[in-house]
Amino acid sequence: MTTETIAVRKDALVIGAGIAGLQAALDLADMGKSVLLVERSASIGGAMIGLSKVFPTLDCASCITTPRMASSIHHPNIETWTYADVVSVEKTGNQFHARVIRKQRHIREQDCIGCKRCEEACPVFVPDEFEHGLGARKAISIPFTNAIPQYPVLDIDNCMACGACAKACPTQCIDFLQQPGERDVEAGTVIVATGFSLTPMGAKKHYGEGKFQNVISALAAERLLAPHGPFGRVLRPSDGKIPSSIAYVLCAGSRDKSIGVPYCSRVCCMYAIKQAMLLSGSLPIADITIYYMDIRAFGKGYEQFYQNAKAMGIMFVKAKVGRIREDAQHNPIVRIERQEDNCRPEEVTHDLVVLANGMLPGFDVSCLGITKALDGFTASPHEKSLPIGTSEAGIFSAGTATGPKDIVDTVVEASAAAMEAANYLRHGGAHGRS
Amino acid sequence: MAGVKTGIYVCHCGGNISDIIDVKEVVAKATALPGVAVAREYAFMCSDPGQGLIVEDIRAGRIDRVVVAACSPTLHELTFRNALIRAGLNQYLFEHINIREQASWVHKSDKAGATAKAIRLVAAGAAKVALQGPLENLTVDAVQAVAVIGGGVAGMQAALALSAAGFRVALIEKMPFLGGKLLDLDTLYPDGEKASDFLAPLVEAVSNDANIDVRCECEAEEITGFVGNFKLRIGQGGEFVAGAIVIATGFENYQPKTGEMGLGEPASNVITLPAFHAILKRHDAVAGGPGLAVVGRTIENIAFVHCVGSRQAEGVDQPQADGKVNDYCSRVCCTATLHAIKELTMRFPAIRIFDVYRDIRAYGRGHEEIYEKVAQFGTIFFRHEQDQPPVVKNGSVTVKDVLTWNEVLEIQADLIVLATGMMPHPISQLVEQLRLPRGSDRFLLEAHPKLRPVEIANSGIFLAGTCQGPMDVRETSAAARAAASKVSALLGSGKISLDPFVARVNHDRCDGCGVCLGECSYPGAIAMSETSGGPRAIVSGALCKGCGACVAVCPHQAIDVAGWGMDQFDAMVDAIVAEEA
Repeated sequence: MTTETIAVRKDALVIGAGIAGLQAALDLADMGKSVLLVERSASIGGAMIGLSKVFPTLDCASCITTPRMASSIHHPNIETWTYADVVSVEKTGNQFHARVIRKQRHIREQDCIGCKRCEEACPVFVPDEFEHGLGARKAISIPFTNAIPQYPVLDIDNCMACGACAKACPTQCIDFLQQPGERDVEAGTVIVATGFSLTPMGAKKHYGEGKFQNVISALAAERLLAPHGPFGRVLRPSDGKIPSSIAYVLCAGSRDKSIGVPYCSRVCCMYAIKQAMLLSGSLPIADITIYYMDIRAFGKGYEQFYQNAKAMGIMFVKAKVGRIREDAQHNPIVRIERQEDNCRPEEVTHDLVVLANGMLPGFDVSCLGITKALDGFTASPHEKSLPIGTSEAGIFSAGTATGPKDIVDTVVEASAAAMEAANYLRHGGAHGRS
Repeated sequence: MAGVKTGIYVCHCGGNISDIIDVKEVVAKATALPGVAVAREYAFMCSDPGQGLIVEDIRAGRIDRVVVAACSPTLHELTFRNALIRAGLNQYLFEHINIREQASWVHKSDKAGATAKAIRLVAAGAAKVALQGPLENLTVDAVQAVAVIGGGVAGMQAALALSAAGFRVALIEKMPFLGGKLLDLDTLYPDGEKASDFLAPLVEAVSNDANIDVRCECEAEEITGFVGNFKLRIGQGGEFVAGAIVIATGFENYQPKTGEMGLGEPASNVITLPAFHAILKRHDAVAGGPGLAVVGRTIENIAFVHCVGSRQAEGVDQPQADGKVNDYCSRVCCTATLHAIKELTMRFPAIRIFDVYRDIRAYGRGHEEIYEKVAQFGTIFFRHEQDQPPVVKNGSVTVKDVLTWNEVLEIQADLIVLATGMMPHPISQLVEQLRLPRGSDRFLLEAHPKLRPVEIANSGIFLAGTCQGPMDVRETSAAARAAASKVSALLGSGKISLDPFVARVNHDRCDGCGVCLGECSYPGAIAMSETSGGPRAIVSGALCKGCGACVAVCPHQAIDVAGWGMDQFDAMVDAIVAEEA
């Protein structure tokens, strides 16, 4: 580890460059504040840039994420560090001190021109995380097409040190021995926008613990449906067959004490309906079934969206899925008890099952000097009047870091956090109810 | 077109365009267009490497005009203008051609046709930008004050945030006191805090804030001016000049019509949830004491009915006055109802409770816990389908309950509480004066739900809270601060930059006939001014919207809209109808 002695001083530190962090950083920057935006992944954009289309407008997700990504990376008041972990935040007086580890990409960023020749030369294929394992990437690769920045990451765990990338690189920027660097940051305020992670596929053992190839996660389904996805069309993973019967299992990672997630994840109903609509667009003759407990289409335009889906012929079955198994052809078989009609348990065979996974906190915020609630998300002492507050004055939280949330509510919270952070900078916490 | 070097950039939009349109063919045809120096295609022009192609071509001196053929300009026109700025080129030497919404998406089944159309649209863009000269943004001064209309939670939170950010605020409230709809509530979900306890510190903070001028019993009677400099006439002749306006006019409770769900029948035992809150408020401290009594009648059973005035369907529910049903979900009523049941059960544990619902939408933080608690208390739930609404008549609720195999059940209850939804507070005067956009649900309509959720198309006017759509207190608090954030960014520097696409008058041609004045829909945007040569039309850039109505009626072709000249329109039409595309 190399420790760089330079301490970076900014008005605000924004942790996480998903849509919440991007929006918060942009709002602060537009208010004239200097911002350091730190993202742990190799690209900014968060979960949103991996989505296909977004409800209820069916805008393509890339199309509305990239404007925010582009504006933030080029904003004169925003400095962005990607592939960097904030490991601690401490408060002294009104100032915050953060330690940030900049992970090694094994390339010299100042020399890299993003030409992708290393990626083309690399002979090693590994499952692509951005495609949720449905596609492959090279051991050295730029994370995805519209990633920002366009630097490749050399995945040293999968590298066989053949040197092909180094030979192909026109600027000799590959550095196999590169070490992570540590930097100190001083900021007047902090915004936590660390997002969510999906409840793991293995969380529910009754649903196959993630071992069935044709039972996929909701985010993997997003990639299947994305116009620039891994297959460019909807195919099921086990055999590449075009599925003709697809089922969604709602509350597969929410409202379920048995997996420690008693709360509603808020977005699953809507993204399942959205994916079902997109599927019925690309596979017009497929049967699409949504197994649900309650359809929570509560946001602006959501109920109308749900009614449209019903009118399109998507089947909504009120039934909790008790168990999923698979047959010899890897067809998932779901065991359900209909809450309507006969109420007898029955088994239904589908070609592909998508679990509507719920949301877990994306990051343990304890190291940031703030307390988390029982659900693991950040907690505000004034949840109703200052939902973006945290246990520490001057640290604010926005988006799915404060609990499951859709994009609209996330963006609103991000702007709200930016306002409070700016006011904290102005008054040092001597205002408001916080 | 001599000397023009245009670069054409065709975007695949990750397949959104290139799956239908032959982008290589578009590039090949574009290369041959007059004045075109460079033509390229890329997977995502909006991505950093995509923009990099443009920046590099400009910096290398290969091009001095840019056409991007991609998505709708509402998404990325600004992105590419910024790329031009970074490359050192005037940002208006740019034309955004939409070959996605206007070609690939609408001609999915006709790939050749979509490609041909894209080629012609690109040719038109190239023809237009060739005639484009550099333009400079207009700049107006930003008054460091904000008018917040509505003194509920949203208005108060916005006012406090704006005051803290250094702006003077006029908080305009129609009623004699601050607090809005929360004044009527007993306790708030999810934590059960008394609404009055929640409001008190907020009202106190607003009242004690020297930057906030509270104007109760006042309305914004007349609003003129433009972004940076609005003039509001507020009751009793008062005037307030504001750089921006925050609309926080809130909601109204849905009021069922007489006879709807048994409300207002003789000897009716049906009330709405807000009315039930008023009862709970009166029975504040009686836990453990005598039971709940409503107009002298002891209450042993209560039935709650969800979705009254929400999630309505055409042909099933009676339309509202405007002929439309309330087809939206009011978002808060499920948890509000469950919370009311929880409060009720804690104070009067002996009361039996029935809950008639379609879906329980306990979505928010702490909501599911309330649902669970209420279920543990022994609340009996009945679920019905949309086309089988419950019937409330003669003091009972009849419901076809899908949870008991579609049995038709009659619930005899001493009191029936209707969980009424939200409708926007009627603000037709404001809507007309400020030309505010409204959605089909009658709530004010944001410019873009994700990119600009608290902004509207009208510059300098922002939305906070339930004037925009149903939301709870927590969400309102966030929305109000989000609006404040946008105001702060807009006004903070003291100057506001506006697009230059406004009418320009050629005074050599203008003879002062005044026809344009009659056609202009924006008061003050165009006026007559006395010059040495007689009266001439002059344009106020801040007020002009560049609609072009004056251009169309001018008998002397003396008016043009900057960036949208008549010569440019001619060139575009010529390119589109050219024999050989």
